[in-house]
Amino acid sequence: MEELKPTLVLDHVSKSFGDFTAVSDLSLQVRPGRVFGLIGPNGAGKTTTIRMIVNITAPDSGRVELFGQTMSTALQDRIGYLPEERGLYKRMKIGEQLRFFAELKSLRGAEAEKRIDLWLKKLDLFSWKEKRTKELSKGMQQKVQFITAVIHDPDLVILDEPFSGLDPVNVELMRETILEQKAAGKTIILSTHQMEIAEKLCDDVCMINRSRKVLDGKLREIRRSFSRNAVALQFQGGDGLLNDPALVANIRQHGDDTEVLLVPGASPQELLRRLVDAHVAVTKFELVEPSLHDIFIEKVREVA
Amino acid sequence: MRKFLAVVKREYVQRVRTKFFVVATVLGPLIMAGFTVVPAMMLGMKSGGPTRLAIVDQTGKMYERVAKELMSGKKTSDDEDEQTPNQPPVGNNNPKQRVEQSGKLFRGSYLVEDVPLKGRAIDDVKKDLETRIENRELDGYLVLPPNLLKEGQAEFRARNSADVFTNNYVAGAISSAVRGQRLAEEKIDENSVDAASVRVQLKTTGAEGRESKGAASFYLVFGVGFLIYMTVLLYGQFVLGAVIEEKETRIAEILFSSIRSFPLMMGKLVGVSLVALTQLGIWAMAFLIFSAWAAGGSSIKLPRIPLMMFVYFAVFFLMGFFIYATVYAVVGSMVTTTQEGGQLALPVVLMLVSGLYLSFNIIRSPSSPLAFWASMFPFFAPITMLVRIVTETPPLWQILLSLAIGFVTIVGLVWLAARIYRVGMLMYGKKATIPEVWRWVRQS
Repeated sequence: MEELKPTLVLDHVSKSFGDFTAVSDLSLQVRPGRVFGLIGPNGAGKTTTIRMIVNITAPDSGRVELFGQTMSTALQDRIGYLPEERGLYKRMKIGEQLRFFAELKSLRGAEAEKRIDLWLKKLDLFSWKEKRTKELSKGMQQKVQFITAVIHDPDLVILDEPFSGLDPVNVELMRETILEQKAAGKTIILSTHQMEIAEKLCDDVCMINRSRKVLDGKLREIRRSFSRNAVALQFQGGDGLLNDPALVANIRQHGDDTEVLLVPGASPQELLRRLVDAHVAVTKFELVEPSLHDIFIEKVREVA
Repeated sequence: MRKFLAVVKREYVQRVRTKFFVVATVLGPLIMAGFTVVPAMMLGMKSGGPTRLAIVDQTGKMYERVAKELMSGKKTSDDEDEQTPNQPPVGNNNPKQRVEQSGKLFRGSYLVEDVPLKGRAIDDVKKDLETRIENRELDGYLVLPPNLLKEGQAEFRARNSADVFTNNYVAGAISSAVRGQRLAEEKIDENSVDAASVRVQLKTTGAEGRESKGAASFYLVFGVGFLIYMTVLLYGQFVLGAVIEEKETRIAEILFSSIRSFPLMMGKLVGVSLVALTQLGIWAMAFLIFSAWAAGGSSIKLPRIPLMMFVYFAVFFLMGFFIYATVYAVVGSMVTTTQEGGQLALPVVLMLVSGLYLSFNIIRSPSSPLAFWASMFPFFAPITMLVRIVTETPPLWQILLSLAIGFVTIVGLVWLAARIYRVGMLMYGKKATIPEVWRWVRQS
């Protein structure tokens, strides 16, 4: 994997609007065939970053390199983009609309027609092909919008908050579709402020906060390095058993779970042994890796 | 380039197919007619039968000449011109004459009756005639006093003294008759004078077919000025609406990720301009077919329009459209809602209206310095220059200069607009201020 050339490289990229700095000295690499999560709270600079990647705006300084070339309009056809703010022509028929957006990506004729039908069928929209946008529900419009991002079979697909406004059935459909794209060798950039989604889908992540990168790398490695020796427990009985400062650093209640943070160096096995010895009915005992959310909070605090 | 064409195609196809386009294409000419032709027709139309005039000839020798002039209706305006040299020296194009000429189109025929004095006092005769007018047996009477030839004054009593067309016509007829009689008495051959007059006329107006054009121009000028105003305004607003829609719905974001802002904006302008040309083309065709049909023996007379006029119209329409539509595109990219767009576009509309108002003055004196400058100023030129061309075609260099200025303006505006458009389309949430916009222009 490592020897493959990165699909996308951002090299010390900055962008400001007047006094406001949207992106500050951001460097990152997106490797081919992986799902790359661009995560951070609203207003962190995700959308501006994406706009520079798709060549809508140019960075004030730094360089954007795609497929080994400096970003240019010619490369735009190899990118598919689903913006956070969805937009379709309200009075245009779905089929025509897709044809237009395909043409803008240099895909036309019978091939375009074939792919339009294929995608409409795949996302259960084929019967709506001759309907106008305004007749469609929000979720349907979003799926149409998604098709505009992938219709021309781009090598890099950029999805900005692809799940917002979808019902659970369509969330699942979208998730499968994204994974299919990945399986087909596409590189996917997923921008979201919903950490749980990023956790489920991403191979790599880059966290940004207030225009700056706070962390990036492979998701698995990040989580391992942030492992805090914590255990999620569900049990009955054994009062006071956890009040041992030599073993337990902190206790938090998460719904039914009790999250026990062990002191550094302490063994989770020791905790389990004590519980068993005390005849506590243990229904759940799980080593927890920190969530992206926790990691993010921790990183942000660290920086501040 | 193919992406540009995709934008043009979408803009064109989506618009031409709308119900609005079909309805506007059908109703447009009717509305135009309502605004321009109908008032002119109503002004000029003679309702009812021929105008019945009685002539009391106190000179004893003028009746035949006057009657002949009234019934024949020839060369009235030419004579009129000669008899009244104190008119403004604007050649054949003064509005008075134009009114008269268009009046000619709608003039009914005249029935003339000789009322000999037979020794009665003139007042008694008049009293009789008044009674007959009241009884609607007569529409008016004419008294030719004994000293008509010397003093050049006659009396015309009409039921409707405000009927400009009849008044002018009668005055012209008498003038012509008096002139003929005077010449005859001086033993000068009337025909040679006519011939001489004609030659003078040709010198001042050039070799064009003045008569047909002059007759047409009275309402043609209003029609043309108004039509270009309406279409530029309408299609400019379409561009405004289209730009705001793409900004409001954030389609711009996807568009900009696929195509550069310049071909996108130009594609939009060109697409909408083609829609407009389609509509104007349909109107022109309909007009030509209709006038061909009307020429084949119908009572409705349409003005004959030289084909070159259609070309001029198309060219100046395009100039107006690209100037105003580009401004509209800028306005659209600066605002966030259609309402805001309407407010910000108000100065633009005022500019266009000014051009229309100026053309009223220009119709009266199409060669004045004001007319010249107004037709060189690119924001007025589409209307004002076209009005000048219709009334009194200016020298070709003026037309070409006006077009050249327009072209340079368009290039400059498009250059400016592309810069504002690119930034403005991605600015959400609030209306852009002028200083902001200026910064965008400088930065890019």
